[in-house]
Amino acid sequence: MQQVRGRLFVTLAGFGGLLLLTLVAAPLMGTTSISLARAFDRAIPFADNSDAQIFFVARLPRIMAAALVGGSLALAGAIFQALLRNPLATPDTLGVSSGAALGAMLAIAFHFDFAIGGLSSVSLSSLAGAIGALAIVYMLATARRRGLSTTVLLLAGVTMTAFFSALTLFVQYMSDFADTFRAVRWLMGALDVGSYTPLLAALPLMAIAFVMMAALPRPLDLISLGADAAAARGVNVQRAERLALVSASLVTGAAVSISGPVAFVGLVVPHIVRLVVGSDHRLVLPASALFGATFLIACDLIARTMFAPIELPVGIVTAIIGGPFFLWLLVRRT
Amino acid sequence: MKRLALLALAACLTLGAAADAVPRRVVSLIPATTEMIFAMGAGSRLIAVSSYDKYPPEATKLPRVGALLDPDTERILSLHPDLVIVYGTQTELKRSLDRATIPYYSYEHRAMPDIMATIRAVGARIGYGVQANGLASSMERELAAVRATVAGRPRPRTLLVFERDRTTLQNIYASGGYGFLADLLDVAGGDNIFADVKQQSVQAGTEQILARRPDVIVELRYGESAKNVDPTRDLRAWDSLGSVPAVRTKRIVILVGDQYVVPGPRIVQAAHELGRALHPEARW
Amino acid sequence: MLHAIEVSFAYRNGGPSVVDGVSLAIQRGDLVGLLGPNGSGKTTILKLLGGMLRPRHGSIAFEGRKLADWPRREAARKIAYVPQETHAPFDFSVMEIVLMGRFPHLGPFALEGPADLAVAHHALEATGMSAFASRPFHTLSGGEKQRVVIASALAQEPQLLLLDEPTASLDVGHQLEVQQLLSRLNAGGDVAMVLSTHDLNFAASLCRRLILVRDGRVLASGPTADVLTPDTVRALYDVDADVHMHPRAGHLTVTPIART
Repeated sequence: MQQVRGRLFVTLAGFGGLLLLTLVAAPLMGTTSISLARAFDRAIPFADNSDAQIFFVARLPRIMAAALVGGSLALAGAIFQALLRNPLATPDTLGVSSGAALGAMLAIAFHFDFAIGGLSSVSLSSLAGAIGALAIVYMLATARRRGLSTTVLLLAGVTMTAFFSALTLFVQYMSDFADTFRAVRWLMGALDVGSYTPLLAALPLMAIAFVMMAALPRPLDLISLGADAAAARGVNVQRAERLALVSASLVTGAAVSISGPVAFVGLVVPHIVRLVVGSDHRLVLPASALFGATFLIACDLIARTMFAPIELPVGIVTAIIGGPFFLWLLVRRT
Repeated sequence: MKRLALLALAACLTLGAAADAVPRRVVSLIPATTEMIFAMGAGSRLIAVSSYDKYPPEATKLPRVGALLDPDTERILSLHPDLVIVYGTQTELKRSLDRATIPYYSYEHRAMPDIMATIRAVGARIGYGVQANGLASSMERELAAVRATVAGRPRPRTLLVFERDRTTLQNIYASGGYGFLADLLDVAGGDNIFADVKQQSVQAGTEQILARRPDVIVELRYGESAKNVDPTRDLRAWDSLGSVPAVRTKRIVILVGDQYVVPGPRIVQAAHELGRALHPEARW
Repeated sequence: MLHAIEVSFAYRNGGPSVVDGVSLAIQRGDLVGLLGPNGSGKTTILKLLGGMLRPRHGSIAFEGRKLADWPRREAARKIAYVPQETHAPFDFSVMEIVLMGRFPHLGPFALEGPADLAVAHHALEATGMSAFASRPFHTLSGGEKQRVVIASALAQEPQLLLLDEPTASLDVGHQLEVQQLLSRLNAGGDVAMVLSTHDLNFAASLCRRLILVRDGRVLASGPTADVLTPDTVRALYDVDADVHMHPRAGHLTVTPIART
């Protein structure tokens, strides 16, 4: 069996290369044919150069958003699956996404109009909802002295999801038709950010989360075999589980505030990655981040070109690809 | 003498029966039909309106019985109406009304011609046929007048936005090629950049807007979003699409009011305002 | 080497004491059995000895230092724990499972090197599982899984091995396999072992010393032959039993007769 060192290098090179290729190719593709020469022609003032604007304002931020959101959701999915010792866990399992949805719904229904530095109130509100949900789940799960009980965590998360979803439906029911429609569309995911501001705003949160995740992979391997066994091998199980919960939830909240919830990425990408690199989380986590980014960029490309000029919400494409694939995975296992 | 009295009695009875056939207690669940009924002078026939009715002011004094998603069936029945104007899709409510043997008028909403057709149909139903016809005809004349005023003028490529996240360019919803907003734009002398999309609404992506290069951007504000309109801060969001002619020449117009989203008598006012925004130099 | 003095533990503050005033000592190279009925607190005692639980009262010292003062990784290089069952939710290979035992020897970002691989191979050889190195863990039988987990514990290069009911779910053939393996590993004198079990005969056949536990208290402790008598069996299990040396097996066997 090859050593982890070698496999890590190959994994990073392989998935990293794939992402790089996608990042270079995606801005060149779209419903409008543009001239790259014109787009990069500095002689034309930017404000007049529609090719450049399509490239730098319409496509590039969108692709960057796809990379950040896809990578974050895939990472969060892999971490939640390890934390809950369950390959079917997703970033939505513990209520963070439904908290974000409630925040967004409140902003839409009550027409919140505060916007800070180019960030829409829907974004800010959904982030607040996600953090609120995380706080509640965290407090519930750490209420016992002895660290984080995954059973309590799961129950707390599922309860929160149900509760927030019910509240969201209630608010939707009370609001008028146009607002309900907007909310439903938000829930399908949309990556057309049109500017770099939402991405820059989400970056600090993502950076903090990435720092928290840095030393997690190996402890997650050990914890997945049992908390007692992991503790006996020298893992600080309580700290690792808390770091995992908080970092994965933060990165999910940041991603959802950019684009709304995008289905299936957090569930399917880690599984695809495991088929290729095995189950060692030191490989699975970075590979999930890289492939999640690639996957969502590809799905967004399909979403914005397949039925032009109609743009599908990207969550529909990920669900159409992810759903059948996941069924296949399940059938294959049994 | 007796025969005359009997004849008079018979005449009174038949007349009375005919009079009773005309609904006098009307409930309208649709803001558009409420406005239509008031505009044709039959406001006194209305006994209840929807939760969203705001115009005319008299309508706001009437009891409210819910709307499309949440009609208050109990309340409606308790008011003993003899005609209820419902949305075509409100099948549950229709069934309840059938069981209570209360007649209803099923409202369908598609495009601008349907507005006049509905006015005439509702008018006939409540015995105001003449007035309804007059209202519809005058609307048709005024719309034709708007059309004539802008005829022959170059039609600007127009992006008609009815929904957008404040201060950002996310979740922009614009009028597609179908529906009464599309017709409104057509009457007012604008060329819809999404005319080829066979839908009422399009989620307009930034790439589409940049590629289709509208000369004018019209933003509609109504209902809750009509408040807190701070044009300068809000319009700055468009600046990042500098190559769009509308942004370059600063032809971005904000139009405020419910008349743009209620397909009723006030679309004439809407057509005038939109026409003036698109063709300010024409003779209005 | 390892001393527990008047240790008490309860899972909830103010809850019932699962372990009550237990004192014991483990020497280098020991092969000790914690013997008692289900719910007697054996597993809890084992976890206390391994540092996974902290005593509410009393203290545990390892090599002269309080166990609670040992840094986790350092303790894990000396003491290894084999749980009763290991379930892997993800598709790890046997070698990957064994390599996890190297964690206490590596830094937070270090990756296993050739030296670690060598230790892992050695552990697999010692447990007779070398041929299974690249097999997926979840395809193994119960006995094979136990041996892999023991190999993983051996990869920690411990001086003390704690095993929780190591043969509880195994049939008699696999039970004998594990028994012989443990005996062989201990015979070298490097690895002391403490195992918990409710199986009288298993304890009698393998362990040189026994600590009898009931209701969280130590009933008796000492060499197997001294401690395992019909009286102690009755005190532990409320069972009348016959205890005698089996001539062919070479160790005590216990034959239950009737419930008292």
